[in-house]
Amino acid sequence: MDPADLSHHTSRRFNEDLERVRTRVLAMGGLVEEQLLRGLTALVEGDSQLGQSVAIEDRKVNALELTIDEECSRILATRAPTAGDLRVIVATIKIITDLERIGDECEKIGIAASRLAVAERPSDHYREVRHLGKAVQDLVHDALDAFARMDAGHALNVARRDRIVDDEYESIQRQCITFMMEDVRQIRRTLDVMWVVRALERIGDHAKNICEYVIYMVHGKDVRHTSLDSVESVILPRSG
Amino acid sequence: MISRAVRNLGWTGGILFRVGLTVLIGALLGFFIGRPWTGVAAALAVVLAWQWRRRLQLLQWLMRNSSDSAPEWRGQWGELATAMLRQLKRKQFHKSQLLRVLRQLRQSTTALPDGVVLLSPKAEIQWFNDAAMRLLRLATSDQGLRIDNLVRYPEFVSYLRDGHFESPILIRSIGPVEGWLSLQLVPFGEGQLLLMVRDVTSQARLDAMRKDFIANASHELRSPLTVISGYLETLTSDDTLDPLLSGPLVEMRRQAQRMNGIVEDLLSLSRLEAADREAPREEVDVAGIIGQLKKDVLARAVHPQEVMVVAESQAKLLGDTLQIHSAFHNLVDNAAKYTPATGSLHARWWVDADGAHFAVRDTGIGIPAEHIPRLTERFYRVDAGRSRATGGSGLGLAIVKHVLQRHGATLEIRSSEGKGSEFICHFPPDRVQQVTLQPGTNAL
Repeated sequence: MDPADLSHHTSRRFNEDLERVRTRVLAMGGLVEEQLLRGLTALVEGDSQLGQSVAIEDRKVNALELTIDEECSRILATRAPTAGDLRVIVATIKIITDLERIGDECEKIGIAASRLAVAERPSDHYREVRHLGKAVQDLVHDALDAFARMDAGHALNVARRDRIVDDEYESIQRQCITFMMEDVRQIRRTLDVMWVVRALERIGDHAKNICEYVIYMVHGKDVRHTSLDSVESVILPRSG
Repeated sequence: MISRAVRNLGWTGGILFRVGLTVLIGALLGFFIGRPWTGVAAALAVVLAWQWRRRLQLLQWLMRNSSDSAPEWRGQWGELATAMLRQLKRKQFHKSQLLRVLRQLRQSTTALPDGVVLLSPKAEIQWFNDAAMRLLRLATSDQGLRIDNLVRYPEFVSYLRDGHFESPILIRSIGPVEGWLSLQLVPFGEGQLLLMVRDVTSQARLDAMRKDFIANASHELRSPLTVISGYLETLTSDDTLDPLLSGPLVEMRRQAQRMNGIVEDLLSLSRLEAADREAPREEVDVAGIIGQLKKDVLARAVHPQEVMVVAESQAKLLGDTLQIHSAFHNLVDNAAKYTPATGSLHARWWVDADGAHFAVRDTGIGIPAEHIPRLTERFYRVDAGRSRATGGSGLGLAIVKHVLQRHGATLEIRSSEGKGSEFICHFPPDRVQQVTLQPGTNAL
C-alpha cells in the first residue's frame, strides 16, 4: 500500500473526528443557550413549572459533557494529535467544562425562578434582570459563534463585553441592598433575585473563558489572566 | 461552378478530385520543363503550404477571439470559419441569457423578506440572502461552515438530524429581537437542502392573543351564567308562580344549559390549545371508554333503535384518557343526535397493520359533500337551524380535530346526503400498545 495514501486517509478520518467533536460541542452550546432562555423566561413570566423543567434538563447538558469528554480522550489516545490539532482538543475539553458550568448556573436560575414564581412579582417585571439576562445571552451566543467561526478577533471583542455584564451586576447588587434595607420583609425574595443575578454574572465569566480558549486555539497563546489590551497586541499582527 | 461540382461528388469524391486536379496541373507544368514528377511534387508542396497558412490564420483568428466577423475566405476554410463563428455566437447568446436569469434569480431571492439558505448535502452553508443573515445572525464569511454550528437551537439540530422535513418547526429566537421563527428545510437536487426562515413573531402574538381572549371570555361568562342558571332552577320548581310563566321559564333554563355547554366546550378547546403540542402517552383503556359510550347513547330519551358499539381489540391507546374520551364521546353523540329513532348506529374499534381505528357509522341525515372539508371549523354549521334544534355547541368536531392532532391521528369523513355518515379516526401504530388477545373477550 502507498504510505502517502495511508497518511492522507488517516488525516481525513482525523479531520472528520475533529469536525464531529466541534459540532457536538456547539450542539451542547445550543442546549445551554436554550436552558438560559428558558430559565429567564421562567423568572420573568413567573412560570414555576418551566423553572423546574430547566433544573431537570440540566442532566442533558451533563450527559453531553461526559460524551464529548470521552470522545476527546479517545482522540488523544488514538490519534496523538500535535500542534494546532492538540490545541483544538485541549481547548475543547476546557470549553465543555465551562459550558457545563453555565448549565449549572442555568439550573440555579431555574430553581430560583420557580421559588420566586409564588412570591409577589415586582412592578417592573425584573427590568434590570431582563436587561442583564439579554446581555449575557448575547455574550454566550457570540462566544459560541466565535468558536464556530474560529474567529479570534471576534472572540476578543466578546471577551471585552464581559466588563459591561460585571458593571450591571454591581449596580443590580447595590439596588438589591437598598431594597432589603428599605423593607425587611423583602429580604427573602431579594436574596433569590440576587441568586439569579449572581448566576448570570458567572455565566458571563464562563463565556469570557470560552473566548479565551478560542484565541488560544487560533493563535496558540494562552491569554488567561492577561489584560485584554495586551492580548490585542498579541493577535492583531496576525488577524490583520 | 467547380465548387458546386465538387460538392456533388461527396466526401471522398471531392478529395480525390482535388488531389487529381493538383497532380494533373503539376504534371502538365512539369511536362513543359521536362520533369513531370518534380512538377507534381512542387504543385503538391504549394497546395500544402497554402493549407498550412490558412490553418495558421484560422488559429490566429480564434486566438484573437474576435467574435464580430469571420475572415472572408472562399472555399472550405471560409465555411469552417463561418460555422465556428456561428457556434461561438450562439453559445455566447445562451451564456448571457443564462447569466441574466441567474442574476435576476439571485437579486429576487436577496430581496425576499423571508430568509433563504442553500445547504450542501453535508449541511454546509453555500449561499444565503440578507434576510437569513439578519434572522439567523450569519456573517458573510460563514460560507462552508456547517449550519448547525451556527444555528444551534436544539430543536433545529434534531430537526436537521432526523430528516423529517414535512412541516416547519417553530423556534423561539434569541436573535437580535426576541420573537418566533419558523424554520423549514426543503430537500432538492442531489441531497442539497434549502432552509427557509420566516419571522412569525406577529402571527404568534396574534395567535396567543386570540387564544387568551377565548379562554378569558369563556371563563368570565361562566360565573354570571351559573348565577342565572341557579335562579332559573329555583324559579321553575316554585309552584306558587303564575303557570303562564312556567313555559318561558323552562325554555330559558334549556337555553341557559345550552350556553353552559358552549362555554364548557370553548374552555376545553382552549385547554387543548394551551396543552403541549403532543399528547402524553398514558395507557388509555379504549374498550372501557367505548362500553361507557354505549350506555350513554342508550340512556338518551330518543336513540336509534339499533345501536352496535364494539371494541374488536383490547389494545390500549397511548394518549390522554380525558381527551380521547371527549373526542369519541363527541363523535358518538353527534351520530346519535342526527340519526332518527328508526335508524342504526355502529361504532367499532379495531387494530391492524396501519395502526388503530375508531369508526362511527350512522344512517342519519348525512352531510352534503361541499360541507365536509369545513366541518371541523369552529361554529361551522351545515344548516344553522338544524344544529341549534339539536342543542349542539358547534364546537364538537373542532374538539375532535384538536384531540386527534395531538395524538398524531387523522379524521376521515365519508358521507352521502340522506343515507348517513361515517367518521373514522386513524391512529398511527406508535400510539398503540398491543396486548395478547384472549379469545372470547374481544367483543363487548
